[in-house]
Amino acid sequence: MLKFLKQVGDYTKETVQAAKYIGQGLSVTFDHMRRRPVTVLYPYEKLIPSERFRGRIHFEFDKCIACEVCVRVCPINLPVVDWDFDKTSKKKKLKHYSIDFGVCIFCGNCVEYCPTNCLSMTEEYELATYDRHELNYDTVALGRLPYKVTNDPMVTPLRELGYLPQGIIEPHDLPSAPSGLPRQ
Amino acid sequence: MSKSRHLLSGTDKMNSGINLQGSFIDFFQGLGLPYGTVKLLWLPLPMLLLLLGATVGVLVVVWLERKISAAAQQRIGPEYAGPLGVLQPVADGLKLLVKEDIIPANSDPVLFTLGPMIVVIPVFLSYLIVPFGQNLVLTNIGTGVFLWIALSSVAPIGLLMSGYSSNNKYSLLGGLRAAAQSLSYEVPLALAVLAVVMMSNSLSTIDIIEQQSGYGIFGWNIWRQPVGFLIFWIAALAECERLPFDLPEAEEELVAGYQTEYAGMKFALFYLGSYVNLVLSALLVAVLYLGGWDFPIPIDPILQLLGIDSNVPWVQLITASLGITMTLLKAYFLVFLAILIRWTVPRVRIDQLLDLGWKFLLPIALVNLLLTAGLKLAFPVAFGG
Amino acid sequence: MNLAQGVQVVSLGLLSLMVLGAALGVVLANNIVYSAFLLGGVFISISGLYILLNAGFVATAQILIYVGAVNVLILFAIMLVNKREDFAPISSAWIRKGVTGLVCIGLFALLSTMVLTTPWLIASIPASGEQATLLIGEHLFSDFLLPFELASVLLLIALIGAIILARRELIVNEPASGVDAGLMLPERPREGVAVGSDP
Repeated sequence: MLKFLKQVGDYTKETVQAAKYIGQGLSVTFDHMRRRPVTVLYPYEKLIPSERFRGRIHFEFDKCIACEVCVRVCPINLPVVDWDFDKTSKKKKLKHYSIDFGVCIFCGNCVEYCPTNCLSMTEEYELATYDRHELNYDTVALGRLPYKVTNDPMVTPLRELGYLPQGIIEPHDLPSAPSGLPRQ
Repeated sequence: MSKSRHLLSGTDKMNSGINLQGSFIDFFQGLGLPYGTVKLLWLPLPMLLLLLGATVGVLVVVWLERKISAAAQQRIGPEYAGPLGVLQPVADGLKLLVKEDIIPANSDPVLFTLGPMIVVIPVFLSYLIVPFGQNLVLTNIGTGVFLWIALSSVAPIGLLMSGYSSNNKYSLLGGLRAAAQSLSYEVPLALAVLAVVMMSNSLSTIDIIEQQSGYGIFGWNIWRQPVGFLIFWIAALAECERLPFDLPEAEEELVAGYQTEYAGMKFALFYLGSYVNLVLSALLVAVLYLGGWDFPIPIDPILQLLGIDSNVPWVQLITASLGITMTLLKAYFLVFLAILIRWTVPRVRIDQLLDLGWKFLLPIALVNLLLTAGLKLAFPVAFGG
Repeated sequence: MNLAQGVQVVSLGLLSLMVLGAALGVVLANNIVYSAFLLGGVFISISGLYILLNAGFVATAQILIYVGAVNVLILFAIMLVNKREDFAPISSAWIRKGVTGLVCIGLFALLSTMVLTTPWLIASIPASGEQATLLIGEHLFSDFLLPFELASVLLLIALIGAIILARRELIVNEPASGVDAGLMLPERPREGVAVGSDP
């Protein structure tokens, strides 16, 4: 009899504990409801990419010496470098350069190793197209200046968490800074 | 308890509260129409009104579900369809309405079409017994809550039907799970209701609310039946297949259970049925445990104190609208709770589900019933003699 | 005939037609699942007849018990059995068919004589209507107490039987003798679990 009562007591205790935990969980969920949404309303608001963001690669035709270091350091030998040997100046002359961003993994090795700094990372990440062959950027496309979030009048730029002042976690509440926010 | 109360039928009841039917019939008879014709004119009106109300209620619940879920996850939720996205459920419904109706090639077309109907019709029929005020109920039938329990036990047949006819193993598994779940949680649900019925000596929803009224918030059944309230709410969540118990449609394991093969309006019927059922369960919790249309503070003494006759038309109008508001507020509070539970508690396994139903809720519901009977004999004043 | 009476007559006809049609469907349908679903239709139509007889409580109980429990269980049983198999031809099947026919005709004759001999007078006592629940309860606990309790004992026996059938213990350390263990289900043979031989 006593053993049975003890069993019942233990069972009740476990039930109460389970109910307590569910109650704690409910209070956590309830607490989440009064926090502000972290949503970035994407086409209208955009986060400013961080300093070392690895976006679409920019290429400067005139600086390139056609050394092909970028091809060698690339994990999949992606960049296509088309050059001729100019016998008069005894230098390689670049004819064409292209990178297929449908295949590129944006590791940044080519940018790192380029001896003349003719490759650089931009903050552009909106590369969607209707045809994957459009992602094969040629010299002209690679040479285009990057699109900047802060210069677009249609877009509200938002700072990422790491670039906010101390103690603030909400970019919406900041006083509206002029475009071209200072980045520290 | 006087037996005379049961003998009164809805129409000739001499009580406070507005009598819409009476005024309607009087008005048209005044225009020279015979009684039978006026009665025929009146009959479909409350039914259509309630159907419309239930559907609009579902739209509100779908919007609430999206917004509250978003808030619990620090998102925004629907934003652009109408102010604050209130038209999002309408857009959803329209999309499903014009979507192609696909019947899988090797399925059983007759059963495939019948299934969703059998799921939805009993749920809407159950709205017969939901009272929004003294006379604001479709029918005050003597078997009130019992009818609801019986009707909600028809739904698993539709689920089994759609699961079987889809010719898909996930659908069949989902249908079987739904039926098993609904059968096992019907028992504690009925026992919890029985305890309440025992206190009010009647199955009629109107009598159950009247038994709770008079003392404001302190008269509500939740104080006398706290365990019964919890059992009822858990079992009702299981009956509605809400999240801790949504095994029949468990996306991660069964794709969508019995809904897997459905598209267009038939899927919309399932969707509608599940949300109507949720609102219905919330309304019935409000009726059985939270005093239905009662205001937390008793109104009649206040009216007497101010020296206002409670039979004056404008007072009746105010109390009636207050009653509807209170019922809906309580129901939507419970819906809010259900959504909060959805994002807090993870889904149980099928064996845990059946364990909870048969080994936990059933014994506790039985003990609760016995205890209520004992208390009723010991303190007939507080527990309905 | 006023509106209410007309509605009653029409629904009586419709419900009777539904009962007959669905019942014939139960017997004649080739697919056993159709039979089971049509059985649900029969039960629901009968509950409609009860409503016409002013017996709301009995109608609701009919739906709850026969449609909600019995019919769902039948469907469950059908859907959980193995895939359909063709009937094996039985030798001298005519004996079985003949016996079945005799039994059915006998039952039909019994029922018809019952229908013909019963004086179908309408009772002078008014229908109890809303009071039915109370009256049924009083009857169940006074003059019908014994059948009621017997039925509950019967249900209890069925419950225990179902538990014994369903409950198979897992084998702990007992490899099957003779048979390749890989081909056996990891379950104890059913005879091993008698009532009271709790391990």
